[in-house]
Amino acid sequence: MTQRISKYQRFVMMNPIIQFFKFIYLSIRIMVVVAGGHGGTRKHVK
Amino acid sequence: MSKIVILGAGISGHVAATHLRRKLSKEHEVVVVSPNSNYQWIPSNIWVGVGRMKSKEILFPLAPLYKKKGIGYKQAKAVSFFPEGDMTESSPYVLAEYVAGSSKGEKEKVTYDYLINATGPKLNFEATEGLVPGKNKTYSVCTYTHADHAWEGLKDVINQMKAGKKAKILIGTGHAKSTCQGAAFEYVLNVEQELRRHNVRNMAEVTWISNEYQLGDFGMDGVLMSYGSMSMKSSEMVEMIFEDRDIKWILGAGVNKVEDGVAHYENLDGEQKSESYDFAMLIPSFSGHGFKAYDKHKVDITDKLFKGFMIVDADYTAKPYDEWSVQDWPETYQNPTYKNIFAPGIAFAPPHAISKPRKSKNGTDISPAPPRTGMPSGITAKLVADNIIDSIKSGKESLHHKGSLGNMGAACIASAGFGMTKGSGISITTYPIVPDYNKYPNTQGRSLSKTFGNIGLAGHWLKLALHYAFIYKAKMRPFWWLIPE
Repeated sequence: MTQRISKYQRFVMMNPIIQFFKFIYLSIRIMVVVAGGHGGTRKHVK
Repeated sequence: MSKIVILGAGISGHVAATHLRRKLSKEHEVVVVSPNSNYQWIPSNIWVGVGRMKSKEILFPLAPLYKKKGIGYKQAKAVSFFPEGDMTESSPYVLAEYVAGSSKGEKEKVTYDYLINATGPKLNFEATEGLVPGKNKTYSVCTYTHADHAWEGLKDVINQMKAGKKAKILIGTGHAKSTCQGAAFEYVLNVEQELRRHNVRNMAEVTWISNEYQLGDFGMDGVLMSYGSMSMKSSEMVEMIFEDRDIKWILGAGVNKVEDGVAHYENLDGEQKSESYDFAMLIPSFSGHGFKAYDKHKVDITDKLFKGFMIVDADYTAKPYDEWSVQDWPETYQNPTYKNIFAPGIAFAPPHAISKPRKSKNGTDISPAPPRTGMPSGITAKLVADNIIDSIKSGKESLHHKGSLGNMGAACIASAGFGMTKGSGISITTYPIVPDYNKYPNTQGRSLSKTFGNIGLAGHWLKLALHYAFIYKAKMRPFWWLIPE
């Protein structure tokens, strides 16, 4: 096994308190991307 | 009064049916025709496949809900399409065959004013010789019954490892043109975590096999994303995770034959190779259902409706990869010939792949087909429903709602292991799904502010929260419509 994720990074990834705030942050950020609307890509000539 | 018929009750069909019913008065009829008796939240199948959820937790019966909400329901499968009716039936209709109950085997002409084809894909296991879920030690997590079988198979192998036998586990794609790499990616990480939980990780060799050219392609040509304070390619992220988890990988592999414990594949160098295993989960290729269509004189017009999947407002002109553009992708999912027919979700024929197509030295196509599952399925179904609602209410065709995959974001919350404190998830958002190289030329066709990745326990909580939220929404509980697709 090659340890590509450092012990500190792993601590941050798995610490429930840090991750709780990350959960709130990610929920909002994902909502902004997903609920931020969608549309067409073509220019329509009337 | 209008009658809207929806074929299929998966994510796409169910989203369309529920929104139509909520927004249209009872004088309008909404009818769902689906061979499945249950709604299933497919993204959680991977947890069923590692025994961390029961299949009953991810499904519920459709009939009671539809009866309560005033949605017609026929447990039947579509057989053929008659968009002009026939000599005896002036209305357009779909010929459907009942698959359960006292009417089983009987056929019915289900007439419609608007038709939504949300039949999704056919799981084309037959395209790979020997790839049959539950046989040859191969399994699938594409349905909840498949996932149940997968867990039984995995449990057996775990017990063998506990008894001292070393085992090889192979997870990935089971055909040169498979899609849905994301589901297989989630499954390999969940299996790896379960092996550690059962203290048999050192007894197992876990291998990822895929038709992707690079790790993290996911059928979307890979993603350049913001990760913390830096940018990272999805290939680098997945490589980091696989190395950290000691998962080996085989790329550019078109699996073409499966025998008992052996997967045969061709790679991009044209070499024929084999990989042995004790447990495999291989995603099949997806195909259209092979529907036929006829005009009112019963002349075959299948080529006006289908190109494998259903033809919609995409640009299907054959052109080289360098000339592909986001403008090729459909915006309204309306069939150009029969404008009262729509095909959201996986049911529409994509104009081309998203990933760069590649051939082996023998000329075999080995590259992922484009994904349209999950979030895009729901979004496209809702916009189709909204256009139909507007058309009915205004009395004239309205296509105001548009949603090209080239102007739509998606979130992929990939489970990397189950557990409230030990779990992990990889949260990735992508905008747009189909890269727009003109708009975002320096960031591989995507907006870096809206395309980001994150790894950690919060990802697992997010995936679990989405599981409960979307089942709540699908059950049409109070204020369900406030939850976005």
